[in-house]
Amino acid sequence: MPQDRFPGHRFLPYLLVFPSLAVIVVFLIIPFIQSVKMSFYTMSPFGTRLIYVGFDNYRQLFSSTDYLHSVIITLIFSAFVVLVGLGLSLAIAVAANQRIRGKGFYQIALIWTYALSPAVAGTIWALMFAPATGIMPYIISKLSGGYKLNWMTSPTIALLIVSAAATWKMLGYNIVFYIAGLQNVPGELLEAARVDGAGPWRTFWRVTFPMLSPTTTFLLFVNMLYAFFQVFGLIDIMTRGGPGNATEILVYKLYRDGFIHLKSGYAAAQSFVIFIAIAVLAVFQLRVATRKAVYAR
Amino acid sequence: MKRIFGIAALALVVISGWAFAQVEITWWHAMSGARLGVVESIVDEFNATHPGIVVKPLFTGSYAETLTKFIAAYRTGTAPNLVQVYEVGTQTMIDSGAIIPVYQLPEMFGEEWDWGQYIIPILNYYSVDGNLWSMPFNSSTAMLYYNKDLFAKAGLDPNKPPTTWAEVEEVGKKLLESGVVEHVLSFGWPGWIFEQMHAYHNQLFANNDNGRSDLATEVLFNQDFGVMVLDTWTRLAQEGIFLYGGPEYSANQAFISGQIAMLIQSTSSLAGIEKASDFQVGTSFLPRFAGYPSGNSVIGGASLWVAKGQSEEELKAVWEFLKFLGRTEIAIQWHKGTGYFPTVNSAVKALLDEGWFSKDQNFLTAFLQILSGRRDTAAAAGVRLGPFVEIRELERAAIEKAVSGSMSPKEALDEAAQKANQLLEEYAKVIGS
Amino acid sequence: MKRKTLYQLFIHGFLLLSVFIIAFPVLYALVTSTLSFSDAFSFPPKLLPGRHFLENAAEAWNRVHMGRLMFNSTVVSVSVAVVKIILSLMAAFAYTHFRFRGRGLLFPLCMVTQMLPLPVRIVPTFELMRAFGWIDTYWALTVPFFASTTGILLFRQFFLTVPRDLSDAARVDGAGPWRYFLQILVPISRTNIAALFVIEFIFMWSQYLWPLIVTNSREMRVVQIGLKMLLASEQQAPEWNVIMAGTVIAMLPPLIVLILFRRSFAQGIAMQTEK
Repeated sequence: MPQDRFPGHRFLPYLLVFPSLAVIVVFLIIPFIQSVKMSFYTMSPFGTRLIYVGFDNYRQLFSSTDYLHSVIITLIFSAFVVLVGLGLSLAIAVAANQRIRGKGFYQIALIWTYALSPAVAGTIWALMFAPATGIMPYIISKLSGGYKLNWMTSPTIALLIVSAAATWKMLGYNIVFYIAGLQNVPGELLEAARVDGAGPWRTFWRVTFPMLSPTTTFLLFVNMLYAFFQVFGLIDIMTRGGPGNATEILVYKLYRDGFIHLKSGYAAAQSFVIFIAIAVLAVFQLRVATRKAVYAR
Repeated sequence: MKRIFGIAALALVVISGWAFAQVEITWWHAMSGARLGVVESIVDEFNATHPGIVVKPLFTGSYAETLTKFIAAYRTGTAPNLVQVYEVGTQTMIDSGAIIPVYQLPEMFGEEWDWGQYIIPILNYYSVDGNLWSMPFNSSTAMLYYNKDLFAKAGLDPNKPPTTWAEVEEVGKKLLESGVVEHVLSFGWPGWIFEQMHAYHNQLFANNDNGRSDLATEVLFNQDFGVMVLDTWTRLAQEGIFLYGGPEYSANQAFISGQIAMLIQSTSSLAGIEKASDFQVGTSFLPRFAGYPSGNSVIGGASLWVAKGQSEEELKAVWEFLKFLGRTEIAIQWHKGTGYFPTVNSAVKALLDEGWFSKDQNFLTAFLQILSGRRDTAAAAGVRLGPFVEIRELERAAIEKAVSGSMSPKEALDEAAQKANQLLEEYAKVIGS
Repeated sequence: MKRKTLYQLFIHGFLLLSVFIIAFPVLYALVTSTLSFSDAFSFPPKLLPGRHFLENAAEAWNRVHMGRLMFNSTVVSVSVAVVKIILSLMAAFAYTHFRFRGRGLLFPLCMVTQMLPLPVRIVPTFELMRAFGWIDTYWALTVPFFASTTGILLFRQFFLTVPRDLSDAARVDGAGPWRYFLQILVPISRTNIAALFVIEFIFMWSQYLWPLIVTNSREMRVVQIGLKMLLASEQQAPEWNVIMAGTVIAMLPPLIVLILFRRSFAQGIAMQTEK
């Protein structure tokens, strides 16, 4: 329990905390409040007129098929990134954590994609899947006897490829955390399971995986945040929400409505809804994390 | 002696600095790639020949980004003097209260200016009630590109491209049969091409004279003509002739790599396509629907808007620059470097005289198309909508849905029209007409 | 014995495949960056490297003024990482070594901040930049990122493990809290500081949406936007060879940072996972 280790310095803590607090209040909290306020208005593109519209923006949002579509796309996209991403990373991390030679090499060879930005990932995957000349359409056409993969004209394919690109980029990050988590599983527990006669599969699911739940919950939250927000660069470079709006995840729709269609109030309403979603997720993560941590002890 | 000399020199420097106090004009534009180079050389030429004025061009991103930034800057009082806005932003700019219509500039300085020197369809596009509001700069239209080599291979006459959609279908079938391509035709900017078809056949795209006599309140593209167009395209897609190519320029790749034989695309792609392709490129007018009236092809591209809130000095400088851009040699330079139309008639004549078009016939196609079309109706002048950006996206979505078979053309267009009308209503409310 | 070798083979096979699949896109990008334009466009695609890397890199460099972009990205990434670390250290120090009013707000505050990523407040934050006159300046690119709840929580966790004896001994020696902070606490946090530096550097280097809307001029743009400009600059066929050369250049600094600090990074993560 933190105690006052330097009694007599009454003002110092406030001074120490002030800069961070100032930035948070000025650049995060106040704009957020303004955004909420803005969601109750409609503004002309040039800001010449500000009309109070009450809940109209929200009403329009929830009755808009485009918005609903965007929500579904976002859910599918995030589910893919989280499930496939965590699943694959866990498998790879488990393998990399085995008693084998060259462990160090594998670990660095698997995590380096963490350093790539979403925009870079998007550019590279756009290259790989370029309809007329990319290598992946070529390979697929050879393997499938001539199927011409063109993500620009198929909404499902586009969503799939964008999800794969986003998942690929996060593999490195997830693997690092899983390796660290695996190394924290107490040897005694594994030993005890082995003594009890449990095979590797059962040991994994009964002992290792539950012990990893703090890591998993943490990664879940981070990957969700990533899938909701940080992939913007990837989407903007690869598909710009298209074809049509097949890859228009919520954050991209927000950008389009706010900055391209110049509908600030409507975009503000969208950002508030996203906030609620994230808040729910954050609270959920906190609950699970503290509960599991206590349980794990 | 030396001292006097020194003082005189100093005085001269001070006085000359004062006398040649330069007016700085910032110009925000969205011309990237090769076009950026041409912009810069034109600006350099202007600056060199106009001591006292320095034009500073700044590439501020895509058209959408440039407009957004302009709005933000205007609201803080830091707007540039001149900004390039895409054609779909025209109504927004007109309603913005942030600009000075170009036609008012010569009046301000007691000058007479002949607006007739500009190419009429382009002039009409950016005019309100017969007055020009923004200065034409980079205008293009759409035309048909085709691969002469593939045509020959398929046993077709490479100098006889299809002129009607019925012929497109015929030619398409022959090309497919011959096996030289798996698909025949694609478009760039599908929404724009859809609008092109309307104007090309003198069909209104929206009410209130295509949004020109008053804010449009209803779109008309889901009526018989529009449905017929989309029906045709859908049928061509089902026959394997039409391949949906994605938004903007993504269809170009398929054409350049020889995977399709025909492409309907902006005329500004001509130089790039000729450079990148290893076959003989042919061009022709947009295909017509036989039996329908004729109009004109629609202007695309962008124009230059003059911001409010400038000093008179600055406005004079801006006006000098705009006049400079309309000079025959400059218009020719711009056209030769980018493929966009030169904005003035004298430039077209000069190009003809110097035989520019006989060197490459393809550059002439767009001109002939636009100069031979109608210029007297609102339908042929192109539509003007407030929430145009969004509506164009709706058009594209409708085309995609119809062509992919997930909706019938009529349903797709009706859905798009309903959403579009709602947008128009909101726009009118917010602008407070 | 045989089973063990088979098992080892399986694991190695799986890992090597994973390494290859993860690396493949980047390898392909690298190869493309060395090809000439027509080779990059050929169908079927070429897989062997060409000789044009320097040409392509020079072209990409000039086309979007990479030099300036790289400089901007570096300035932004380094300054934000450094300031974030300093501010986080200070705040964590306050929360773990002092009792003061409002201390209980830390956790809720950090939670709330986590829920407010940029897009949730993007338009008003942008307006704030406008109001401050910070559009198109380094200020807009950096200041809003100066506070880091990740950093605060990271250091807080670490400081909690610092035994009381250390600060008691310092007090007995007559050292005030500042000296204790600077001469003892910060140095022992080296690993965490390095780990946070890697995380924040990569995070800032990857920023895309914010620089997109907050900078206009060529002079102030960052590398990520440069990539977009490279892609957009071709109206017709994208010049993949040039674009990839630019991408390779853009990839390097964060990779270098990660590799330089990999030990601390891995250790920092391990420390954090050890609840």
